[in-house]
Amino acid sequence: MKKHLFFVVLGILILVLGACSSETQNDQGDKNRLVIAISAEAGTLDPGVSMDNQAWKITYPTYERLVAYDGDKTTVKPALAKDWEISDDGKTYTFFLNEGHKFADGTEVDAEAVKFSFERTLKIGKGPSGLYSIIDNIEVVDPYTVKFELKNAFPPFISTLAANYGAIVNPKVMEHEKDGDLGQGYLSANTMGSGPYQLEEYNKGQYYKLTVNPHSAVKPNIDTVYFRISSDVSETRISLEKGEIDIAEGIPADQLDEVGQMDGVKLVQKPSLLVDYVYMNIGKGTDALKSKEFRQGISHAIDYDSIINETMQGFASRFVGPVPEGLWGHNPDSKVYEYDVDKAKELIQASGFEGAELDLLYSDNKPYWEELALTIQSNLEQVGVKVNLTKVAYPTMREKIDIGEFDLCVGVWSPDYGDPYMFMNYWFDSDNWGLAGNRSFYANDEVDQLIRKAATISDQAEREELYKQAQEIINEEAVYIYIDQQQFTLPMSEDVKGFVYNPMLEGIYNLAEMTK
Amino acid sequence: MWPIIRNRLIMLVFVVFGVSFITFLMSNVIPGDPARMIVGPRGDQATYQRIREQLGLNDPLYVQYVDYMKGIFTGDLGTSIRTQQPVLDDLITYFPATLELVIYAFLFAIFFGVMIGVITAVKNNTKWDYIGRFFSITGVSLPVFLSGLIFIIIFYGKLGWFPGSGRIDLFMELPPRITGLYTVDSLLVGNFEAFKNSLWHLIMPSIILGYVQLSTIVRQVRSSMLDVLNQEYIRTAKANGLSEWFLIIRYALRNALIPVITVVGVSFGMLLGGAVVTEMIFNWPGMGKYVVESIGFLDFPAIMGFTLLISVGYVIINLIVDLLYIVLDPRVRE
Repeated sequence: MKKHLFFVVLGILILVLGACSSETQNDQGDKNRLVIAISAEAGTLDPGVSMDNQAWKITYPTYERLVAYDGDKTTVKPALAKDWEISDDGKTYTFFLNEGHKFADGTEVDAEAVKFSFERTLKIGKGPSGLYSIIDNIEVVDPYTVKFELKNAFPPFISTLAANYGAIVNPKVMEHEKDGDLGQGYLSANTMGSGPYQLEEYNKGQYYKLTVNPHSAVKPNIDTVYFRISSDVSETRISLEKGEIDIAEGIPADQLDEVGQMDGVKLVQKPSLLVDYVYMNIGKGTDALKSKEFRQGISHAIDYDSIINETMQGFASRFVGPVPEGLWGHNPDSKVYEYDVDKAKELIQASGFEGAELDLLYSDNKPYWEELALTIQSNLEQVGVKVNLTKVAYPTMREKIDIGEFDLCVGVWSPDYGDPYMFMNYWFDSDNWGLAGNRSFYANDEVDQLIRKAATISDQAEREELYKQAQEIINEEAVYIYIDQQQFTLPMSEDVKGFVYNPMLEGIYNLAEMTK
Repeated sequence: MWPIIRNRLIMLVFVVFGVSFITFLMSNVIPGDPARMIVGPRGDQATYQRIREQLGLNDPLYVQYVDYMKGIFTGDLGTSIRTQQPVLDDLITYFPATLELVIYAFLFAIFFGVMIGVITAVKNNTKWDYIGRFFSITGVSLPVFLSGLIFIIIFYGKLGWFPGSGRIDLFMELPPRITGLYTVDSLLVGNFEAFKNSLWHLIMPSIILGYVQLSTIVRQVRSSMLDVLNQEYIRTAKANGLSEWFLIIRYALRNALIPVITVVGVSFGMLLGGAVVTEMIFNWPGMGKYVVESIGFLDFPAIMGFTLLISVGYVIINLIVDLLYIVLDPRVRE
């Protein structure tokens, strides 16, 4: 009897399975639905808190900002604000808002909402507040006019307003406030913006479902967008091949070529502003790094072409720094250190630090860092410099960078807003030692003066000239090793049209203009 | 029976203290600072210090610990640094996914484990014995990330029999949340589409996860079956002409299963804590995936919450195992 029972159960099981598997889910023909595979879940979605690219994928299309990046350019165009005026001293910004922009609940976006959003971010006091601490006062002139007073002139300010943390939040978020958190708990998993989309459903660990904001001023073509969390690359690849997803993020460089050759899949390739570089700890590292000749020697010892072709699989080009190509302030004639072993040896000999030992810090945050670190290690061995690899967890790496506990350290950088300030002042100002940006712990009074001056005057040509002067000193002093400027590469279905890559919005989609 | 339950509950308090203390200490000893994660990849010192103050990280360690423990006994596990949601809410969201996966993996492991164990014992030293043992040994020897990948490539990629990711299709309407177990909830509301769909999603990951525990169960069942089969009462029963399989299932298996219960209990605990890799490969939105992402962000409250939940789970499973012993074996009752 029991024996029979077993076979009966087995039979039922097989039947159920058969019934299930016969049912294929071919929804790929749907023009109104876009599925994007993202590699990790975002943390909080609160634009006043988040400093995380994953979260910005969701918040960018669900909120609007006063200004927006213009297509694929790094300059800004009107968005919520139809126009703005900047006072002669560069300290007062007056914005004139467009009428008729509405939050997803139908409330109109007005000057009060703008004031509220920035004050909220400042009051919360987390990551984004650092950027806006330059704001002294915000004044509502009338329902459609808002005035920002800055503590001092800061020309990149207009550009920061187009970044994610410039999002305007519906003041009604305060109805969801708990224990004085200014609605942080609620906004961490909900959106309250006036963007073309709204977050309709967040199924934790699985997907974010965006639907059209019924009151949006813009009418998108695609009704529903899913951001599906896909932690496994193999599964993502197969899903793309099967047409179950339209865009596949997180495919490592060594698989991109193959994925691009799959039927119905195209690779979008654009020059990005994302750069790979190596910090040389001048201020707090080993003595050898304090020698200019030694640093120059190291810069000559790196085989850049092999890193670009092998490690980066050709999806990168040589970085002529410190401001990458595609952003104003870039100087194509900047001094570049070519791979030259003899010259490197000569310089290191001249420095008197032959046989120096360096600790190279990296983590598993980027899959290619391991290979990059190994390449640097073997490159420097050729010139008689021993490199000890120190691989740590990513949070530990951040800590060590901040306190300067390393000699060499691999890093990536991409600007949050379209201004060379993001490179020149972050990387070289001696006030920014550590995580804040000056990760080589570099200090040079002349450079400080030049870049600080460039950050306060409004004339672009004049600023460019000052930055150029600073760049000459910096590159002569070999402060960082400029490795490569990455190419943005994203596999997507050939059916997806209208995607515009903006180098300021790394990994963010212009969903409202896209079609399928 | 009651003294056992009472003693175990008292023990639970000590376990919570011990585990929380060790986890708390370890989280704080390792280099790295959650405030640096919040402040962003290029945060300035002023903001960083302000966040440390907000999180109470500037307080002495014992003050932080006491604050945390006060919370635990009022049901407050703190707020996750990464998601900004109460940790308890997060765990309640992610736990059912893991539980459902583990239950199915467990059923798979027990069903096939007991079956193979019995066959290999009865057919001792025949080809069936060897095949059965080989099959079960493969389970422990194959790492999950490899077997999972092979399954995905074959059954999702090539054959398309099973979905490769998640708990349910993207466009499927979710069953209302009653228990959080999709297969149960969908049956409760009579939504058979969702039931079939979620069951279909469960098959690959639960086989992969259950396969690892299979061999432990097979080995235990096999050895205790062999013991029992050599007992005199079995010989007597055989001599009395009882049919072989009736004898095996009715008399032998019943007694052989008692020691198996312990192994099975431990297995369940291990599945619960060890589903992390399976969850990553199959995009299963469970606690394992949650905690891996939390660790990457140094989200102390989330890590602590997870560890506590798993250790409390272990104590409860052990308690259940002991109670089952009492039910199954009258000798223990005295």
